[in-house]
Amino acid sequence: MSDLLKTPLFDPHVALGGKIVPFAGYELPVQYKNGALKEYTAVRDGAAGIFDITHMGQVRVQGVDALKFLQYVTTNDVSKLVDGQVQYSALLNEKGTFIDDITTYKISDDAYYLCINAANRHKDVAHLMAESKNFDVTVQDESDATTLLALQGEKAQAALQSLTDIDLESIGYYKFSQGHIAGASGIISRTGYTGEDGFEIYIPNEIAIEVWQALLDKGAVPIGLAARDMLRTEMGYALYGHEISDKVTPVEAKLMWITKLDKGDFIGKSAVETRKADGAKKRLIALKLTQRGIPREHYKVFVDGVESGEVTSGMHSPMAGGVALAYVKPEHATEGDVSIEIRGNHVAAKRTGLPFVRSNVKK
Amino acid sequence: MSIPANLKYTKEHEWVRIEGDTATFGVSDHAQEALGDIVFVELPEIGRTVDAGEAYAVVESIKAVSDVYAPVSGEIIEVNEALEAAPEKVNTEPYGAGWITKVKMSGNADELMSDDEYNTFLEE
Repeated sequence: MSDLLKTPLFDPHVALGGKIVPFAGYELPVQYKNGALKEYTAVRDGAAGIFDITHMGQVRVQGVDALKFLQYVTTNDVSKLVDGQVQYSALLNEKGTFIDDITTYKISDDAYYLCINAANRHKDVAHLMAESKNFDVTVQDESDATTLLALQGEKAQAALQSLTDIDLESIGYYKFSQGHIAGASGIISRTGYTGEDGFEIYIPNEIAIEVWQALLDKGAVPIGLAARDMLRTEMGYALYGHEISDKVTPVEAKLMWITKLDKGDFIGKSAVETRKADGAKKRLIALKLTQRGIPREHYKVFVDGVESGEVTSGMHSPMAGGVALAYVKPEHATEGDVSIEIRGNHVAAKRTGLPFVRSNVKK
Repeated sequence: MSIPANLKYTKEHEWVRIEGDTATFGVSDHAQEALGDIVFVELPEIGRTVDAGEAYAVVESIKAVSDVYAPVSGEIIEVNEALEAAPEKVNTEPYGAGWITKVKMSGNADELMSDDEYNTFLEE
């Protein structure tokens, strides 16, 4: 484990009874002492949960060509952003498949901030650096200096407000503000990965422990990776390495809504257009078991008795039961009786809409 | 960590309670703690015969699927159906309401550990 990284909050995690596991190159808590179910409940049922997601990467893009550059390397239409707005987007390669999914923060016309996945950080930064050579921009990896906390749940705003001079009420969904948090400069966005109201908080490492402790003192419950995955799966949010990867394009992954083919040229555009015209090779669907069982990643999905694909994320939802995201053959996306093979048995499932449980984000 | 004295234990952290030729199986406090929140238990069919060391049930926690192994050989005569609705009993009462199955023993329990031996095993 010696080559794994620790976040500035490693010691507090251990002190809170965190069960530490390797994740995306970091040592992170999969759960704390009371277990993942209680953590999940804290976020869903009216409290607030605090997550150390420092493993995620941050990249600052600055320069007169910042907009032109981001229009070329990301799939969404960056020109639609106003200052202080966040956008879900993706980086594709020339084959039209995913390098990563990201969020783009517009600070000003010539300054943007990208939040990227930990496991893809070095690949993303190398890609952005290489592509930036043709533009008047600088690309700066700020990941190592930045702590990222997520505070999610109904009580998030009340818990966070006393720590910052930013008026949180004025931050709308997928908007952000820069200001002071515990006296240091930081960014707060009304974003998250849980389907609850809440914030993501970017602060310098130096104040990580102080802010973490202050939020615990305000009643926030620490949340590990297991509950985080439950919360995101219930929303049907894609996770890199599961629903999206360098094997699928936005056409398969139901992410054409962040892929704007009419905005001008971008990396992967022509490949996506071709795939769209030719038809998806498989399609992502949401399934709910109608019999007892828990679907898990890689379990086989059958339609009318024929093997059609596999589960990419599956879980036991305390509210919705056995739920799964799965890829199936395009002809099976809407037609045919679905079952999931669990230890040799075919367990019946039905297609369902997303999210699996009600979202409470403050839109 | 609770290790009742009237039970026998395996290295896979199962326990067995022997009363005449009936044996009750479950998983130890250590096992439930290591597994985390249990959200599903797959019970065996009544009438099935199992050999000592054979997987007879499955417990699923939030993140993991784990086989549960028979401490002794025998025929399944009863299963704890309450676990279908309340699998968390394996966490809260591993030696009581969290029992998994009962078998009519066909083998013996000579190979199993006593509570003291299991405690030493856990410390090693």
